[in-house]
Amino acid sequence: MSEVNNTRGNLWVNRLKKDFRASLAVVLLLCFAPLVVTTPYSFGILIVSIYFALLALGWNLLAGFTGQFSLAPAAFAMLGAYTTALLDYHLQTPLSIGIPAAIFGTAVLGWLLGRVVLRLTGPYLSLTTLSFAEIARVVVGNSIEFTRGDQGLNVPTLFENRIGYYYLFLMVLVATLVLLYLLMKSRTGRFWLAIRDDATGAESRGIDVVRYKTLAFSLSCAICGLAGSLYGTFSQLVSPELGLLMQTGLVISMVVIGGMGTLTGPIVGAMLVYLASEWMRDFGGIQMIVFSAAVILFARFLRTGLWGLASKMMQGKGKP
Amino acid sequence: MLALDLLVNGLIFGLFYALMAVGLAMIFGVLKVVNFAHGEFYMIGGYAYVLISLKLGIPPWIALGLAALAGAGLGWLVERLLMRPLYAGHGSWSITKDEYAVVVTFGLSLLLINLVDKIVGPYPFLGPVLIETSRFTIGPVMLNGQKLIAAGVSLCLLIGLALFIKRSLWGRQIQAVAQNRLGASLAGIDATKTTSMVFMISGLLAALSGALLAPLINPGPDVGAFPAIKSYVIVVLGGMGSIWGGMAAALFLGVFEAFFAVYVSYAYRDAFGLLILILVLLIRPQGMFGEKGREV
Repeated sequence: MSEVNNTRGNLWVNRLKKDFRASLAVVLLLCFAPLVVTTPYSFGILIVSIYFALLALGWNLLAGFTGQFSLAPAAFAMLGAYTTALLDYHLQTPLSIGIPAAIFGTAVLGWLLGRVVLRLTGPYLSLTTLSFAEIARVVVGNSIEFTRGDQGLNVPTLFENRIGYYYLFLMVLVATLVLLYLLMKSRTGRFWLAIRDDATGAESRGIDVVRYKTLAFSLSCAICGLAGSLYGTFSQLVSPELGLLMQTGLVISMVVIGGMGTLTGPIVGAMLVYLASEWMRDFGGIQMIVFSAAVILFARFLRTGLWGLASKMMQGKGKP
Repeated sequence: MLALDLLVNGLIFGLFYALMAVGLAMIFGVLKVVNFAHGEFYMIGGYAYVLISLKLGIPPWIALGLAALAGAGLGWLVERLLMRPLYAGHGSWSITKDEYAVVVTFGLSLLLINLVDKIVGPYPFLGPVLIETSRFTIGPVMLNGQKLIAAGVSLCLLIGLALFIKRSLWGRQIQAVAQNRLGASLAGIDATKTTSMVFMISGLLAALSGALLAPLINPGPDVGAFPAIKSYVIVVLGGMGSIWGGMAAALFLGVFEAFFAVYVSYAYRDAFGLLILILVLLIRPQGMFGEKGREV
């Protein structure tokens, strides 16, 4: 944008507020889904799409808000799920400890990985997180005596009721949204944006870049870990397939299609992509072709994603 | 004399790795981005070779050439449609260049895998061999004809590429653009054309590597993942963008893996390659033979 626009509607805080309200509206809409959806199978689909929405929010915190392109969100979901599953399998730890342990474990792991890799930037960061993700998957899949390898582990469930699970996932989603909103409104969020836009400039103004990047990394990993852990208790089976690169690809496509650097975009993207992929399964499994093509087209021609397009239209600007 | 057998076979695999990695290193050299769809160039090469020779009945040696052409064409297309905005007339994009490149090439990789999966089918094909021989041994080293021929072709290609880069005018233009795009264009080099050429060479080498290995590894749609990851390791190990470093690192990795698989653990072989990558990035990010860009 060439000219500076100082109208109130365009200030970052106001845009964030609008974005947050819109995301809550989407969640509210989802609350009424049980009125339309009745079969347990469809509930399963909705729950998985909220799982992906959580991963997308976690990845977006890193990529969209802090400008760090990690390729490990699915790996951290897998690690979170395995933390809960292994605690149950070896020590018979109840889920009330197992799930917080997953959050804590992935946060610490993310913090450590962050300390190590975040001095690197751009392609180096992507390469390192990609190799971390693959190492994690290979190690989990091959430590057969400890994790039962590719057979996976059985996990106890919180409750059998799918509607209950649906609302639990929605509550976690709202909690994550509120947390992200508060953080983005605060100093920390401003620092993240500053680092995303110009890391050298941010550092020269006295921002501890590595520290704030590590914080974002750790938090993002914790969100992914929590999502993975909950998903494990829902599906009652945890396997290394959770950490496949294809899953990371899905998460990235959700965020890019929905709109990077926003709160509503990742949720809308996750819902759209996952529900559409279930729908397209009837047409012979073309969903990944459509989404990967969509990702390329969005990245090439519509960089703000669907939500960026929608909010621009709402501001009455017409042409992007 | 297991060790000698491992050494020779490791070196042969190192040659295949080098074919892949050199192209990736060249792309990083001129554009400073990682092509996450590089493994799919390899996969397309393998498929082109197998399908052309099996379905159309064209002799394997000609199919090999056609597969190489397919790879070069794909490379040209990718550069023309997806990579050009990185440097041509989109000044404001330079900030988000890395992000764009990661997202687009990652998306392209998924697209190609799923397209092939859908159109050709998820089942792997075994390619026809270039030369019909049974296994034979030279001293303690066990080999078969296809492996030997493929290694020979790779070696010739690598030597040819080295001469091309070092001696020819185009090769020197590539070196110049890799060192400094602006400086090169000030000296009258067409940087756009050079970049296009680098993508074609890169696609050609990766596709040839896939085609040469097709009779040994049954290419399936996701066959590119591991060679691609290996080439990331190699490119980092040899110094991002350094062609000579990449070749040396590829041979090293091939030998290292062969020994590691036998003496330590076969299952963790791939994980340790990646561990090397992380360690190198942490301790010596410029790699073993890293070269810094030059300022004008």
